[in-house]
Amino acid sequence: MEQEKVIEITNLTKMYGNHVGVKDLSLTVDKGEIMGFLGPNGAGKTTTIRSCLALLTKTAGEITIFGLDSHRDSVTIRKRTGYLPGDFGLIPSVKVRSYLKYLLSLHGSSSTKKMGSLAERLQLDLDRKTNELSKGNKLKVGIVQSLMTDEDLIIMDEPSGLDPLMQQEFYRILRQEQKQGKTIFMSSHNLAEVESICNRVAIIRKGQLIVVENIEVLQKKTGKVLEVEFNDPFKIDEFTFKGVSNIRQDNGRLILTIHENLDNVIKALSNHQILNMNLKTYSLEQLFLKYYAEGEVGEGGDA
Amino acid sequence: MMFGRVAFMELRTGWKGLLIFGLLVVVISAGIPLIFPTYRNSLIEELEGASKVHLELPNEQGDMIILSWETVEPATSYMVLEDNRPSMVTPNIRYLGNETSIAFEKDFEEKRYYAVMAVLDQTSDPVLIGIAATEKGVDPFQELLKNPAYAGLTGGRNFSMLEVKGFVALEYYSWSWMLTGLFIAYLSVSLIASDFENKRMDVMFSAPISRRRYILEKFTAMNLIALFIVLVQIAGLIWGLASINALNEFSANAVLLSLIGSLPFLMVIAAVGITTAVLFQKVRTGMGITFAFVFAEFFLYTFGGFSKSLEWMKTISIFKYWDYFSVIIDDLFKVGDFLILTVMAIVLVITVIRVFQKKDIPT
Repeated sequence: MEQEKVIEITNLTKMYGNHVGVKDLSLTVDKGEIMGFLGPNGAGKTTTIRSCLALLTKTAGEITIFGLDSHRDSVTIRKRTGYLPGDFGLIPSVKVRSYLKYLLSLHGSSSTKKMGSLAERLQLDLDRKTNELSKGNKLKVGIVQSLMTDEDLIIMDEPSGLDPLMQQEFYRILRQEQKQGKTIFMSSHNLAEVESICNRVAIIRKGQLIVVENIEVLQKKTGKVLEVEFNDPFKIDEFTFKGVSNIRQDNGRLILTIHENLDNVIKALSNHQILNMNLKTYSLEQLFLKYYAEGEVGEGGDA
Repeated sequence: MMFGRVAFMELRTGWKGLLIFGLLVVVISAGIPLIFPTYRNSLIEELEGASKVHLELPNEQGDMIILSWETVEPATSYMVLEDNRPSMVTPNIRYLGNETSIAFEKDFEEKRYYAVMAVLDQTSDPVLIGIAATEKGVDPFQELLKNPAYAGLTGGRNFSMLEVKGFVALEYYSWSWMLTGLFIAYLSVSLIASDFENKRMDVMFSAPISRRRYILEKFTAMNLIALFIVLVQIAGLIWGLASINALNEFSANAVLLSLIGSLPFLMVIAAVGITTAVLFQKVRTGMGITFAFVFAEFFLYTFGGFSKSLEWMKTISIFKYWDYFSVIIDDLFKVGDFLILTVMAIVLVITVIRVFQKKDIPT
């Protein structure tokens, strides 16, 4: 069955003078999914997101959201969209509660129930003044404002920067939103974050889309790097399984990349006395190198 | 959702500054008329025995002047000397006789002094009863008003600084635009440019607010603020005039109409401020340009009065269309001027909405 598309970007190009913001980018976000939008700083994530919200004019291409034209029907679209900007300021010298109520009123809503529960879960004090907030608390205000209106689509531009416990709570909130049928499109420059929360990921680099993939597939393809330090001798052969690559020995440590069959590796490790162990997700740059090396970069290969 | 929420938020967050400015405006508006009596007294000459002599001037040149004086018991007759200097060095004898009231034609333009003397008997010199003059005091602005710089400002109208109307028009109205106009310029620019500078636009436009509505709400906020300031000016000025019992000379109605006339003038400045804010998105740049606009318009207006060939300068100045002198001196409120500025403000706002709709909002 064809998935209902919430965001449909077709051949989007945005130029800033001679500088390319985004080039010929096509991407769809399906209803009910959490789509991660991954790329290093300056890759064009914010440009794409802000084009969807008609904050930027397009140089070329089409964007439809809920089947509506992103520019012509922008106001209608925004009635059903919550948005957390990557960088934003608050109205100074008002209480957070008044500020959020004001934003609610701009959305034509007066129900503060969800605002209250979100603030409570994120431990945001609504009685503080907006100009007295720390960076983390400001981000919480941003998160609450993007979710409190209970819109069908939530767009978030790099919603990271909370402390680890709060970040986990934030992910739980997002998963609950998803269960209620919400569609979430969030950008990040952190692969681990995208892996932990998203169903699919679109990777962008230098204004061009490199790949769109299911998270499981991506994880299989890229794998994770395991480094083990032993207290006893070992052979590389012991760890040669299907789904394990790049096995090598370095200074008495074992280094390998696991794509699947983590279980087999763990079992093999249990025969040894282990001093230290480290499982690493690839950094974004390593991920790109991998994609380039494997020739899956498509048109992005000229970079 | 209801229109006005953005405008209301501006008023809500800015009410303290507005209140302080409002108080300043009240103090200035009420204070300037209070200075008037002292100012006038400083110009009025103390003529000897002035209370004993009464001079009634005709409205029209060529009509009769009536001069009367107090009876002095031992006097056998009276003598009236006339001179254009209070020292009476080279007097003419205007009258000699027994009457205590005389009438004669005003066939001169300059200021003249009349010394009324009592003649007691043939042997002693006449005794001075008092001196009266055809003008009350020396108005230092009389000459200045003929200067093109002032004539440009006043539209060539002749009025006296010895009257409360003239004093308030020149000492209050002719520079109050600096107070109110520049305040509106500052506020209208910063209301929008600070949303850009402080990165509030993304959140604003994630709400279902169109760019047109955003501009209209900000413009509405500016109009309400301008109305507030004008009302405060009106209240302050009426208060000041009432305190010196001058409302019979300068009516509350004239105060109201003359200052209401500044509303569209302030609307145009607000529209220019909004335009520069949208175009340059920086408070400083926008403010510099809007201030320059207001000053340039002012200079166009005064230069336009210098000569006939420069009159076109006046026509393109917004100052021409807030003619408070017309209300104060001529009792005429120019509805056409009011409408011209209103239409100009609206056209500017419509234009800036169009421009804003096509512009990127920078991060």
